[in-house]
Amino acid sequence: MLNCQSHLDLVEGLIDGQAVEVARDTTILAAVRLLNRSVPTLCHHEGLPGDGNCRLCLVEINGRMVTSCMYPLRENGFVVETDNEDIRRARAFVLEMLVDRCPSSPRLMALAAEYGVTPEERFKGDDDLCIRCGRCVRACEINGTAAIGFAGRGAERSVTGPFFTAPDDCIGCLACAAVCPTGKIVFSEKHGRRSIWGREFEMVRCCECGRPYATPGQLSRPEFAANEICAQCRRRLMAADMKRSFTEY
Amino acid sequence: MRFTNTRELEKYRHELVNRPDVYRRLWVCGGPGCLAAGGLNVLKALREEAKWYGLSGNISFKVDLSGCQGLCDRGPLVAAEPWGYLYQKVRPEDAHDIIEETMINGRVVERLSPGQNHRKGYDLNFFRRQTRHLMGRMAHMNPESLDDYIKHYGYHALGYALARLTPADVSGRVEASSLRGRGGGGFPAGRKWKACRQAPGEIKYVLANGDEGDPGAFMNRSLMEGDPHSIIEGMILGAYAIGASQGFIYVRHEYPLSVARLNNALDLARERGLLGRDILGSGFDFDIEVVEGGGAFVCGESTALMNSIEGRAGAPRVKYVRSTERGLWDSPTLLQNVETWANVPHIILQGPGWFKGIGSENNYGTKIFSLVGDVRNSGLVEMPLGSTIRSFVMDVGGGPQPGRKVKAVQSGGPSGGCLPRSCLDLPVDFDHLAEAGAMMGSGGLIVMDDLTCMVDVARYFTKFLVGESCGKCAPCREALPRMLKVLEDLCGGRAEKGDTDRLIRWSEMLSKTALCGLGQSAANPVLSTIKYFEDEYREHEEQHFCRAGRCAGLYEPFIDTERCVGCGACIRVCPCGAVKRSGLKPQGINQNTCIACGACLKACHFRAAVARPRG
Repeated sequence: MLNCQSHLDLVEGLIDGQAVEVARDTTILAAVRLLNRSVPTLCHHEGLPGDGNCRLCLVEINGRMVTSCMYPLRENGFVVETDNEDIRRARAFVLEMLVDRCPSSPRLMALAAEYGVTPEERFKGDDDLCIRCGRCVRACEINGTAAIGFAGRGAERSVTGPFFTAPDDCIGCLACAAVCPTGKIVFSEKHGRRSIWGREFEMVRCCECGRPYATPGQLSRPEFAANEICAQCRRRLMAADMKRSFTEY
Repeated sequence: MRFTNTRELEKYRHELVNRPDVYRRLWVCGGPGCLAAGGLNVLKALREEAKWYGLSGNISFKVDLSGCQGLCDRGPLVAAEPWGYLYQKVRPEDAHDIIEETMINGRVVERLSPGQNHRKGYDLNFFRRQTRHLMGRMAHMNPESLDDYIKHYGYHALGYALARLTPADVSGRVEASSLRGRGGGGFPAGRKWKACRQAPGEIKYVLANGDEGDPGAFMNRSLMEGDPHSIIEGMILGAYAIGASQGFIYVRHEYPLSVARLNNALDLARERGLLGRDILGSGFDFDIEVVEGGGAFVCGESTALMNSIEGRAGAPRVKYVRSTERGLWDSPTLLQNVETWANVPHIILQGPGWFKGIGSENNYGTKIFSLVGDVRNSGLVEMPLGSTIRSFVMDVGGGPQPGRKVKAVQSGGPSGGCLPRSCLDLPVDFDHLAEAGAMMGSGGLIVMDDLTCMVDVARYFTKFLVGESCGKCAPCREALPRMLKVLEDLCGGRAEKGDTDRLIRWSEMLSKTALCGLGQSAANPVLSTIKYFEDEYREHEEQHFCRAGRCAGLYEPFIDTERCVGCGACIRVCPCGAVKRSGLKPQGINQNTCIACGACLKACHFRAAVARPRG
């Protein structure tokens, strides 16, 4: 029996026939991953609040289909199935809907191939890498910037700055690009300038190595405040410090 | 004057009732349909006319605006009391006759009260077959007057509950009545109340959902505009039962009159000590705020509605923990449709036993439906749950237009489904409709006759849903436009082989995978039309033929000379003179001139002009 003793309040049940005991309110996805089993996800990200919008991580709990990334295990005796004919059909349907719109995403195409889905010429939309999973929006929101958001509804929903302009509040931290599952969000760094979302930032140079390493907006955040040197230099200096302290004794 | 206890309220009502009242009264319907048809002009004309006759200011005469009277397509309606005459399609020019004939001489103006040779409004079949507990008093009440509401035992349920019942009793009564939510799903209200009452939490909220967005539905609107106090009273009772101190009424932005009347009612109630601090001297505090929606259909979904009140975009959130436990601002929240709330005072005052005497097994009480489409009387209809579809369409609705046959009844708005003629004897209640593949929804009933193409109906609703999908979850956002494309191809003669099967597969998967209730039911229009009218889909797909003569280019009109009686109606309506004739008798249709507009099919009362496959 797999045991996760991090919490005293435990619930137990079966996942794919295997008995598990997890902390109450653990999501199914987290429990499944504890078992080293995999469930495909697109909109889920460990560091972000769940949203449950891509509908790819569907599993069955007690015969009911739910999104595993959002469903909290709260009662004993749950029976979870992560793979069966119905679940595969549902996931294949979701992928079928997504690939017509974004056939150039390698990640999506790999998943589609796994579930035997191919794009259809008749329903092809404008090829767009964005799958509207909103990871970027959530990342931007939880780091306190909230510069980008969704606009429009239905098929017109898209990620953008306010009123489809370059977002004034963007600090160029690249969190959105880092969490994007399809690589839709692109940025460039050239000659000490970083550009993303139509904004351009003059980057601050590391006073150690002289390389540009962050935007002024990033450095204005309390968690960055004391850093005047880039991450590599910080690591290098820290390593040197440690080496010195070890060799001195 | 503030009421400081229940006795004062009861005494005040007694005074009101015994006060020498206006004897002759004209109620001009203030429902949405009648106002749109010019009800206010009629009101103005009647008042001016009365002034001219020296009647205004006269204690025994009054012209007043009432709540919705129900027979919306005959509006503007004017009811004359005490005779009970119901004047239909009144124009401002008729004011003179009404005042002189009815108000002064007490006689009926015959040309304004047509139909069935009935002089009295309540004698019309439309009204006689209904059970109007919620709507009945609306027609005899000025929605902007608190006195009128109190006269009809308004706020008496509240007074009774605060003086004699504990919160648990109130919740228990609602549970005992087996009231089910009127918003569509039919979830037992009592269970919700109980769960919310027992949920831990200092702060709890009470919400009313007045975000009615279904095409062709306007019953919540009429309730909010015609009897706003009943909703407010229900909410105060709910708040008392669960221990909430703040409530919100979420009204869609497109209903400015509802917002105004609700706010007016809230102000009046607050002035009288029926809302706010220390309600009726009981020490119970509760206040209500009206929140205007952002204008999205999906905001009627419970979690999207809460998001919207919280100030976020109105998109649903994944809900595996019930709102009664974690709802608005993560506090326990009791959300009910405005009509559910309006039922609560009746249940408290008249008891769960009375409520259970109406309706059918496990579906008690009445429900307001908006009966629209191809019937002779359309409007708002209140019927006990469990009445058959036939009683709606044939008895209350007066049947289809002359020469037409009922083909299907669409129930439950865009998330509902189409039921065929064979389901006419199906009882209209939560369980039977769901079993048949439709749903109660908020109570829209759209009657369709044989000139309706079911593929086209599915296309219409899917188009509506494509525009209203919030786009948050992938299945609803991506599948609906694809389904619409297939449906448009079917209606436009561009269908490919296997399109019907494709629609079936997608619809079933969409119901399984979508995030919110609206997404899960978004395929219902397609699923239910395919379930009952698969032939029509196959005809569209394989033969490119529309038997209803609705999809342009998929049929040619044809005149069956055997059935034709030679009335010449088709000849008169044809815009391009394509009907060949000898004398008045049509002989056929010149297909080269015909533009397939379908006017002849519509005009023919004898089903002699019909659609047939092209070529």
